[in-house]
Amino acid sequence: MYQLVKDFFNGLWNENPTFKMIIGMCPTLAVTTAAMNGIAMGLATTFVLVFSSLLISLLRNFIPAKVRIPCYIIVIATFVTVVDLFMAGYFPAMYKILGLYIPLIVVNCIIMARAEAFASKVTPMRAIADALGMGLGFTWAITLIGAVRELMGSGTLFGFPVFGENVTRWVIMLLPPGAFITMGVLLGIMNLLTRRGVKNTQCH
Amino acid sequence: MNQYTRMIVVLLIFSVLSGAVLAFSYELANPKIQEQAQKNLEASIKNVLPGITKYEQVEKEGLTFYIGLDDQGNKKGIAFKATGQGFGGPIEMMVGYDPKEGKLTGLQILSMAETPGLGARIQEPTFTDQFKGKSVNDPFEPKKDVQVITGATISPAGVASGIKSALEKVTKIYPVGGDY
Repeated sequence: MYQLVKDFFNGLWNENPTFKMIIGMCPTLAVTTAAMNGIAMGLATTFVLVFSSLLISLLRNFIPAKVRIPCYIIVIATFVTVVDLFMAGYFPAMYKILGLYIPLIVVNCIIMARAEAFASKVTPMRAIADALGMGLGFTWAITLIGAVRELMGSGTLFGFPVFGENVTRWVIMLLPPGAFITMGVLLGIMNLLTRRGVKNTQCH
Repeated sequence: MNQYTRMIVVLLIFSVLSGAVLAFSYELANPKIQEQAQKNLEASIKNVLPGITKYEQVEKEGLTFYIGLDDQGNKKGIAFKATGQGFGGPIEMMVGYDPKEGKLTGLQILSMAETPGLGARIQEPTFTDQFKGKSVNDPFEPKKDVQVITGATISPAGVASGIKSALEKVTKIYPVGGDY
């Protein structure tokens, strides 16, 4: 049980995919123009991540090491397509918000990375705990980036106006350079916070 | 079984199973997707032609028109599809047109692939509502009679030029002030 909790929290902070491992940068930089986009993309990714990790963990003794990567790709791509089809057919309201992002999940390397580095080596329970932690860690990270960019670029937060009409909006924050600027500054702050927690800085 | 045969067999099993799962999911989900598409089409026609309860589909000169009718069967306007070239691909939209007044009655974006948070805001009512009541003889030029979105000028321009080029054909078939 302790192990499961540890696996879960690992992705939220210690090995946060966005701020610590710096993986999955394509969706992180591309869709974070608003806080809501971050939540939507994050949850859709979490969903796919949990199920693909579970499947790969269950099949870990069946997949030969030499062809593991093509096998993971088939599993992940199939799963994403199934989610895409069923969401379009049965949950049209949700599909309207998430539909744009679901095909992007296939190219999110967090899913591949967790399959390769974790799910293929551990029991299904641990794989799920890790996938949930990683997924939610990704979600809060890109929601934070989205919130910063939305606040500075459109003057709103989750669609609600925060600044008055007269405050100049920094349109650059909504454009690709804004993604890199926000990411860089947040990454710096994250590193500062983590360094303070380490007693012996000589170790690094 | 040696390791090479095993590799081939496992990959084969994965591919066949994945193909089967995909085919099965598609068969299951496709009717629902079509149904949703039909519902969305109906909703968009009713959205761009306010006050109608039903519509008739008419094919004319290779174009499809949806003639909106109210409770008493009075014609309230014509809805048609228009396509514009956006930043991320084609923008499909439903346009409501009232030939009697020569004005647009509404606009709804059906599908587009514009940048989320920037060009994608052409879907929002704050952008689409400006076309309500617009005369079909207006120039439809961005930054002049069409308000653009900060950080995204290509998407609104695509919408404007898409409507304009569609209107050129539509107003020949259903001229302003004419019968329909």
